[in-house]
Amino acid sequence: MSKLDVTDIQGFALRGYNFPFARFHFLKISDKQKGRECIGGLVTYITTGERWDQGKPKTTVNVAFTYSGLVALGLPQPSLMTFPVEFVQGMKARGTILSDTGKNSPHHWDPVWHKEVHAWLGVFAQSQSDLERQCSGLLTLLQGSGGAESIGSQDAAALQINGQPTTKEHFGYTDGFGNPEYLGVEKDSQPGQGKLTADAKWTPLATGELLLEYADEAGELPVAPLPHLLANNGTFMVYRKLHQNVATFRKYLKDKGALYPGGADKLASKFVGRWRDGTPVELSPDKRSEEIVKDQNRNVNFTFGNDLDGARCPFGAHIRRTNPRDAFGFNGKLINRRRISRRGMPYGPYTPDDQPGSDDEEHGIIFMALNASLFRQFEFVQQEWIEYGNDTKQGNDKDLLLGNHGGSGKVMIQGSADPGNPPFLCGALPNFVELRGGDYFFVPSITALRMIAANAVDPR
Amino acid sequence: MANQSGSIYGLTILSPIKDDPNAEISPSLAIRMYLQTLPVDGGGPFGRVSNTHMARLVVLDDVVYFGMPSCEEHLKSQYLIFESNFDGELEPYLTQLATEARDEVHNIWQHCIGYPGVQNVDAFIAYMKRCQVETTFYFADVNDKTVQQTLKALQTQSAVASFIEKNQGKRSEELQPAFVEFMRRLNSAPRPKPGSTKGKELTDELL
Repeated sequence: MSKLDVTDIQGFALRGYNFPFARFHFLKISDKQKGRECIGGLVTYITTGERWDQGKPKTTVNVAFTYSGLVALGLPQPSLMTFPVEFVQGMKARGTILSDTGKNSPHHWDPVWHKEVHAWLGVFAQSQSDLERQCSGLLTLLQGSGGAESIGSQDAAALQINGQPTTKEHFGYTDGFGNPEYLGVEKDSQPGQGKLTADAKWTPLATGELLLEYADEAGELPVAPLPHLLANNGTFMVYRKLHQNVATFRKYLKDKGALYPGGADKLASKFVGRWRDGTPVELSPDKRSEEIVKDQNRNVNFTFGNDLDGARCPFGAHIRRTNPRDAFGFNGKLINRRRISRRGMPYGPYTPDDQPGSDDEEHGIIFMALNASLFRQFEFVQQEWIEYGNDTKQGNDKDLLLGNHGGSGKVMIQGSADPGNPPFLCGALPNFVELRGGDYFFVPSITALRMIAANAVDPR
Repeated sequence: MANQSGSIYGLTILSPIKDDPNAEISPSLAIRMYLQTLPVDGGGPFGRVSNTHMARLVVLDDVVYFGMPSCEEHLKSQYLIFESNFDGELEPYLTQLATEARDEVHNIWQHCIGYPGVQNVDAFIAYMKRCQVETTFYFADVNDKTVQQTLKALQTQSAVASFIEKNQGKRSEELQPAFVEFMRRLNSAPRPKPGSTKGKELTDELL
């Protein structure tokens, strides 16, 4: 395939920026015409997928819209009616499918999600002052336009531990390993990131698993809105604010770790499939390995085909559930249409390891993921692999870390005859993570943003 | 062998539905309306015909041809499709349907051509066999275990998980008597009823 026009694609769709600071503004479009003018003004700020050969910029800016946002901007009805159903409905309405029930139900979400959020304005920055400066400029632009206003915002930042920004999340795991590679998307290639071939090599996924109007893994064009130019080079984003119950997690790990012959640290590695420094348990089941973590050729390069009884990486471990690689056989073919690109970032301060932590404090992770089909990719992973266990032969059991367990969940940690690695049952599972809001967003191309701004979306 | 996979029988029935242009409610609509009234939990007819793993009733209106060059074809009538995977042999199963789910069977099949009623069980069996087509695919989750074996296995799995959760880490001297007592109670526990959604409650009672 030909090279993608990266100047037309929002950079956030193509890569994680790895900036330490971020703020996400949630916008309301208050006036159609002025709202469109505002988008026109914003376009020049948008960070595209162009390479940063001159070094990273100080800040990045990206924008995405909910369905009600596109309605508020006055997209013509014949175009609106062509968007995929799950996007039109929005994440709240999909709660039953996603198991966003009980403690995860909208009743418990942040106030901003009880309003109608029309757009997400994402700003990433190298420093707090860069972030403030950029956001202040953008808010002035919004205000001046009279067409859009910020009705809430969410800060996120790399966790500072001992004064240094890290890639840790609140449960102490190093996060952010690996994301799929796609045809045409320039990226430092890492074995383990794309899809498996019949001869056990890794190759990029079809572009259409990420971007609209390109062939996907089935050789089809993903379901996309009309006109084609509105969809082309665009994608869909899911935004979920995942609150982390740090105290519950630490206590559970401590209590169970005392019973587990491998100890709490090893048990923690079984929860996720990585030791907390990031070492994949599949490659190093008995100890952390800084050498593997730092090795780009190894830290995401593994398969589960030789661990079909889950003795090293349990069936229910988070990374095995959400990216089963070859665990279901057929050289991994069954999962190639279920991949998502993650753009997560923590919020709230880190609780030092020697403290019990709190469930009430404002801390967690902003989970953002990009995919061509919310229905086929994100929703499938959430419904079938996180909140259900049939594919992993775990019955009704859920992802240990993310599952909506409600206090009565159980997950089996498979083991072996080795006394240090026995099978172990994690029962009475609470919710370690709780949903605090989010929605589905359309991430248009630069061309599409300009079309929207010019009121030139013409589906005829 | 067609229609049988291990101990599981795969039954596919296609019964032509009556065509009555004068009916106020067409026979196919009457079937659909009746099917919608059936309970979807264990209270349905297949909860009583208890060796049924899965069963499905579908009204097939017609076939549509997709492709080029297009050609227009139609079925001779609408059909009621009945699929079931069950334990054992066909005739005893049909007998059970005609006796244990007699009202439901009648309310559904009375709209089908040639249906002789359920009073005469032999005639009902002969009719169903005439409507039978060969089955070569089975419900994937039926793995040559009977419904009773499957229910017992699920109960055991759930109970053992709870036992482990309560007892893991205990010393052998404590663990063994607890396990012996657990096994005694498990073996004498009532089996969950087919269609039951109460497996967890049963396990909790057991422990």
